[in-house]
Amino acid sequence: MHNETKNKIEPKRAQKSLKATAAASAYQKQWFAGLRARVEAGEDFGYLNADVPMEILRAMDIPFVVNQWWAAICAAKRMTQKYYSLLNAEGYRDDLCSYCATALAESYDPDDKISGPWGGLPSPTIAITRLTCDCQSKIFELFANNHGADLYVMENTQPRKAPPKWWELAPDRWEELYDSDRLDLAVEDLKQLIAYLEVKTGKMFDINKLVEVMDLINEQETWYLKIRDLIAKTSPAPVTVVDTINAVMQAQWQRGTRWAADHAKSLYEEIKGFVDTGRTAVPDEKLRLMWLGRGLWHDFAFYQNFEEKYGAAFVWSMYLAMGADAYIRNNVDPDPLRALAARYIGMEDFLHMPPWNANWFLKEARHNNIDGVVYMVPENCMQAVEGSYFIKKTLEDAGIPVLIFKADPVDARKWNRDTMTGLVEDFIETRIIMGGKK
Amino acid sequence: MGIRECAKNSKAFERLLYHYNNREEAARLFRQKGGKVVGQLGADVPDELVMAAGMFPVRIYADRDSKLIEADKYLEFSFDPVIRAQFEKLVDGTYYNEIDFLAISNSTDVIIRTYLYLKEIQRQEPQKPVPPLDFIDWLFTRKLIYQTRNEFTIDLFRKKLEEWSGKKIADSDIEAAAAICNESRAALREISALRKADKPRINGSEALVIIGSAMFMDRAEHARLTRQVASEAKDWPEIDAARIFITGSAQESTELYEMIEKHGAVVVGEDHDWGDRYYERDYNSSYTPTRAIVDRYMLRSFSSKKAFVSQRVKALDEAVNAAGADAVMFYVNIYEESASWDYPSQKKSLEGRGIPTKAYVKMAFPITRNEWLEDSLKKFIDSLKG
Ligand code: SF4
Repeated sequence: MHNETKNKIEPKRAQKSLKATAAASAYQKQWFAGLRARVEAGEDFGYLNADVPMEILRAMDIPFVVNQWWAAICAAKRMTQKYYSLLNAEGYRDDLCSYCATALAESYDPDDKISGPWGGLPSPTIAITRLTCDCQSKIFELFANNHGADLYVMENTQPRKAPPKWWELAPDRWEELYDSDRLDLAVEDLKQLIAYLEVKTGKMFDINKLVEVMDLINEQETWYLKIRDLIAKTSPAPVTVVDTINAVMQAQWQRGTRWAADHAKSLYEEIKGFVDTGRTAVPDEKLRLMWLGRGLWHDFAFYQNFEEKYGAAFVWSMYLAMGADAYIRNNVDPDPLRALAARYIGMEDFLHMPPWNANWFLKEARHNNIDGVVYMVPENCMQAVEGSYFIKKTLEDAGIPVLIFKADPVDARKWNRDTMTGLVEDFIETRIIMGGKK
Repeated sequence: MGIRECAKNSKAFERLLYHYNNREEAARLFRQKGGKVVGQLGADVPDELVMAAGMFPVRIYADRDSKLIEADKYLEFSFDPVIRAQFEKLVDGTYYNEIDFLAISNSTDVIIRTYLYLKEIQRQEPQKPVPPLDFIDWLFTRKLIYQTRNEFTIDLFRKKLEEWSGKKIADSDIEAAAAICNESRAALREISALRKADKPRINGSEALVIIGSAMFMDRAEHARLTRQVASEAKDWPEIDAARIFITGSAQESTELYEMIEKHGAVVVGEDHDWGDRYYERDYNSSYTPTRAIVDRYMLRSFSSKKAFVSQRVKALDEAVNAAGADAVMFYVNIYEESASWDYPSQKKSLEGRGIPTKAYVKMAFPITRNEWLEDSLKKFIDSLKG
């Protein structure tokens, strides 16, 4: 690795081996082409932040793209450097909110149709975000203006109670999990969103369709639960995060469709097949690592850097595990909107708030027999500030060492693979091998 | 220029300056007499309710020179330096000895995190001297459902204050407290008129003292003294200088303003929470108390943290017009990022109307750590004179 970089050779690209990943990549290209055709034919098109309850648009059959998914595509196509220079040229700082501002930056690109990923982003008519941070509404408003789209925002409330084991309550007992007034408000918020979309698109929201969507999501996420459990108990692990992140996330953004549920099943079957035939990701697996933070979209190969030298495999990231623990809502029928509310308001609590996140990471670390945790705290995002002190303390008090470092999930300019590799190697040697349990 | 002799010679101004400089004093005396003090973190904790509960509200503020031992331990680097310094005092025992309770308002992201961290410290490390606290989960998006939600939230806070004070709060208590707060705001508007006049009689440094002192002293006394200053200041010398409007990070001290005013400009207005925004919008006594509180805090002019770019552009344009400013200075502390998304549009709008702007972003705290700043300010001010 070191020599490669010194000789200015492009860094190694990640090895991805799953059929399900390839299938998802192929599907999303085809889906995106179909979406473009619908938009060009004059249909309304939504651009959504990841924390927006997309299930509503799915149930109404309004085509949409998720901001974070698109940012990841742009990062994978290595467009970000160009985009930040466009932001700069418009007078914006280029060191803020990289993750969320990618599409805004892109909207300043006059050549987007030619040089943008997959023919560029079709112009949305609706941009929806939630106010889970101070910058979100501003970025989305600028983005909406550039595209001539409507801006629609939804609020976010803070929990007053925080049951210690949210994952036990989430699937069935959400009335115990949340303050009921928060759920009431979220349901109202959903109804207003629906009313807006009905007027805007002329389509009716059919509650029975939402039930179908929610059922399909339960089906899909149940497969993720099985996959998570399978990886947790199998050592050496059949796959690492490099294999699973894309396969899971590409389908997660398609959640609520037949395709996504079937894809999750095929992913499970493929991985189960590996386990049955003894195929492993890192045959010489000695250490199991957990990755905390957003995926390193611009350098997936980083995760594989420690396999050969230390037998260290990144087996856990939040993407699969959130699917397993945070999404399933059983018994949707009696009140599907409330069930949906009980899903979307929790994401922010579960992921970004102590003690909810710290307790869950510890439970997952134990479940997955984790030896060490590498935790990336993004440099320029207040939302992703989530109590790293408490997370580190909770894990380390339980005997699991944690390395914290700063990086930006999509901005390759700030990423130095050599330095980061050195940090992780040092962590593995001094904290895990010399100081830890193995 | 800074604070002028004419101001210093005023007995009323001197009292306000005393409280501005001795921020713990009034609260200490209040506690000595057996009263309870509520610290306010964030700009949207309603004074009216705290006072109605018979308690004394004081604003949490940053010490400019504190060592950040606790902050460095618990907070990520992306907490801005002012909240870091405030957090330090909330965790190291400083405030534990000065206030009885802490009310936190959802005025910006970083305050939500601060609230969660403080709560977590209380849970995991109960020996730490963190005061009992409550969070007011304001929603600032202007829609009926959020206005209604805010009414619910304010009723919860009212109950919490009743629990803290051991006293039932009657509607008439709120109305009485609100009348005092309105008095203090009305007096501050008289100051504002003198400050924004064609020939200002009050400069920015003086105004910050007059406004900021309200956060630390008896509000009725503040109203009385401020009116007194307003009547005296009619005879203070006129100020002939380049008129500057400040937007961005709240200025908890006069340091920046003094630096600007030293070089021949005058700060005629600002839209941060330690300045003009503090006394905007009255409690409307024709509404029921809960609605009047929500109306006052939810519908004030848009803060830089909780508003769309377009709302901020319009709000700033209007405030700059009202102040008759010649130029606008954006001053934003490092990691206080959200205003940076407003800036290019605001600049475009202002400069389109011939109002020059100057941006200082990623600023260190306290301001003296930006050693190059004074030269740059001077150059900018000189360019306005030419
Ligand atoms: S603060 Fe974080 S979540 Fe918010 S817009 Fe910026 S990058 Fe996105």
